[in-house]
Amino acid sequence: MATRKKVLLKVIILGDSGVGKTSLMNQYVNKKFSNQYKATIGADFLTKEVIVDDRIVTMQIWDTAGQERFQSLGVAFYRGADCCVLVFDVTAPNTFKSLDSWRDEFLIQASPREPENFPFVLLGNKVDLEPRAISSKRAQQWCQSKNGIPYFETSAKEALNVEQAFQSIARNALTQQNQTVDLYNEFPDQIKLTNTTNRNSNGDSCAC
Amino acid sequence: MASNCEVEPGAAPESALVTTDSYENFQQMSSSLEEIKNSNFTSSTQDEFLDNCNNIDSDLHVNCSTVSVSSQDEDYIRDEEWLGKSKHIFVLSSAGKPIYSRYGNEDRFASYFGIMQALVSFVQADDDSIRSMHAGDTKFVFLFREPLILVAVSKTEECTSQLTAQLNYVFNQIASMLTLSRLVKIYEQRRNYDLRRLLTGVERLIDHLLDFSEQEPAFTLGAVQCLPLTSSVRDAISSAIVQSCSKIKNLVFGILLANNQLITLVRMKKYCIHPHDLHLIFNLVQASESLKTAEIWTPLCLPRFDASGFLYGHVSYLAEDCQACLLLLTVERDAFFSLSEAKQRIVERLRRGNCLEAINESLNTKEETCVDIGFPELRHYLYKCKSTAQFHQPSMGAPYTINCKRLLDLYRRAHYRLHCPTRPLKLLFERTSEDALLAWDTRGFELYAILEPLTDTGNAIATVGRLLNWIKKREDKLFQLNAPTF
Repeated sequence: MATRKKVLLKVIILGDSGVGKTSLMNQYVNKKFSNQYKATIGADFLTKEVIVDDRIVTMQIWDTAGQERFQSLGVAFYRGADCCVLVFDVTAPNTFKSLDSWRDEFLIQASPREPENFPFVLLGNKVDLEPRAISSKRAQQWCQSKNGIPYFETSAKEALNVEQAFQSIARNALTQQNQTVDLYNEFPDQIKLTNTTNRNSNGDSCAC
Repeated sequence: MASNCEVEPGAAPESALVTTDSYENFQQMSSSLEEIKNSNFTSSTQDEFLDNCNNIDSDLHVNCSTVSVSSQDEDYIRDEEWLGKSKHIFVLSSAGKPIYSRYGNEDRFASYFGIMQALVSFVQADDDSIRSMHAGDTKFVFLFREPLILVAVSKTEECTSQLTAQLNYVFNQIASMLTLSRLVKIYEQRRNYDLRRLLTGVERLIDHLLDFSEQEPAFTLGAVQCLPLTSSVRDAISSAIVQSCSKIKNLVFGILLANNQLITLVRMKKYCIHPHDLHLIFNLVQASESLKTAEIWTPLCLPRFDASGFLYGHVSYLAEDCQACLLLLTVERDAFFSLSEAKQRIVERLRRGNCLEAINESLNTKEETCVDIGFPELRHYLYKCKSTAQFHQPSMGAPYTINCKRLLDLYRRAHYRLHCPTRPLKLLFERTSEDALLAWDTRGFELYAILEPLTDTGNAIATVGRLLNWIKKREDKLFQLNAPTF
C-alpha cells in the first residue's frame, strides 16, 4: 500500500496590507491579475498542485489579511505551517520595515521546533512600479542577517518571477517535511499489566 | 408489565464486556485499568450531546477557492455527485492539514480543510468549542480531539449526538492503529506532520467502519450480538481456549467471532473489554479479506482498554471448513509462535469436541423471523441486556427486507428518545401509518419493538411481555452468560 507518496504543504503568506499577497496568489494559481485593490477579509484559501523533483506536491496556501484587525486569527492560522512567505512592496519603505515584526510574530505564534532553521521566503513585489524605495541589495542584506532567506523580486502584474518564487517556496517547505524523524520506528510503549494489576489489587471493583 | 421487568433475559452476575450506558461520554479513554473501573461508576457529562447550535461570530469571514492544475472534473465544488453525498466525514490535523475524507481525493479540496480548521480554532480562541452548525437540512458536526479535528457534514436524520458518536469511532479507529500517546507525540514533535504517511491502508478501515456503523444496530446500542449456541457448546469452546492457553503468560483476551457475532470471549482475570473496542475488532476482521488466507500478527491498540499502548494480536480463521475468526491478544511483542501453537491446539480440541460443526450449524441456520417464532404482530425487535452489554435481534422480516434503512432509522430515533439528556423517556409508544414502535428502558434491559401499525397499546404490551418470556427461555443460547477467564 506504499503507493501514495503524496505531500501536502501548508504555506502561509504574510505582509502588510496592500503589498500584493492576494495578487501574487491569484497570478500564481489562476494566472490572473487585477489592478483593483480588494482587501482580504480574514483569510483566503487556495490549493495548487506542483511538481518538485518528480514529486507531486499539493500546496495549501493560506493567504492572510494584512490588516491589523485580523491579527487575532493569527495563532490558529500559523500553527503547523511548512513555510512562511513574507511579502513587501519595493516602493513602500514601511512595508519593508514591518518584515521584522511579521517574522517575529510568526515565530512566536507558530513556535516551530527550530525557529532559526524554519523556512521563510522573502518576496519584494511590485518591481514593475517606480520609484523604487528599497534596493535589491538592502533586501538581500536583510535576508543574509536572517540566516540566508531566499529572496525574489516579483511583479504579480507582469507575472515576473512568480512561478520561480513559488517553486522555491515548495522546495523550502519540502526540506522541512523531509527532516521529519522516523517517529514510527521507535519502540512503542508496552502495556504493563503487572503494574496496573498491582495498583488495582486492593479493590476488585471492575464491574464485570 | 412490572413483573416482566424482572425477567431480564440474558442478565448475568459477571460479564466479560464492560457494561455501558449508551450515552456515556464517548470520549473517555482509559490509560489504566483504574480508570476502566471508575468509568463504570462516574456518570459522565452529557451536555456534549445537546443539540446546541453554535452561532459563529460574524467577525469570521473565510473565503475559499480551489484551483488545481488538473482537469475541471476534479473540481469538487461543481461535482454534483460529491455534493450530493448524504454524509461526508473529514479528518484533519489541528494545523488544518487533510488526513481523511470519506469521498473524493482530499488533496483536491485542501482549502476546505483550512476553513474547517479556521472555524474550530476561531471558536476555540474564546475558550469555547464549536459542536455543530445547522444550515437548512444539513448539519455540520465538529469534534476536536487533541490533536485531531473531525467533521461530519450530514443530510441524514441522525442527531448531533449520534454523529458525534460516529466521529468518536473514527478517532478511535485511528488511535487503534497508532496508539493515542504516539498520535499526541507525533504532533508534539511536528505540528506540520502529514499523518497520511502513517495511515496508508487505514482509510479502508475507516471507510468500512463508517458503513458498518450505519448498518449495524450494535453501534447504536453499544452492545454486541452473540452467535446462538447451546450453553454446553459455548462452554466447551471457552474451555478449549482456556486449556490450550494455560501456560501462556500475559494473554489478555481470547476472542472468537463469526459473521459479526461473538462466539466467546475469554479474558484475563480482572480485565474486561469495552463494546466500542470490540466493535473496532469486528470491523478489522470484517474489513480484512487477507485474514482469511493467513495467520496474522499485528499490533492493535484498544483505545478504551488502554490508549497508551499496543496489544499484540494473533489473528486467524479456525479452519478452511469453519469460518470463525480467533483473536488472541497479548501484551508480549514476540509471542507469535507460542500463540500460533496454541491456536493449533485450540482447533484440535474444538474438532475433537465437535464444536466446529456446532459453529457451522449455527452459522448455516437461517435466523428466525418474528413470524416464525409465533409473533405475527411483531415485525422486528432489538433486545439489549444491560448487565452484559449483549443484544439480540431476529432475522429481518417483511417489510424491512427491502427497506432496512427505515428500520435502522426508527431504532436510532427511538434510542435517542430514551437517552436524550434533556428529557429521557422510560417508555415510548408511537404509531404511524407505516408501523408502531414500542421502546422500553428498564434498569436491566432496553427493548425496541416494531409492530404492525394497527396494534393497540394493550396488544403491544401483551406482545412485548410474551416476547420477554420467549427470550428468557432461550437466554442461555442467545447470550454468553458467563465470563470465563484464563
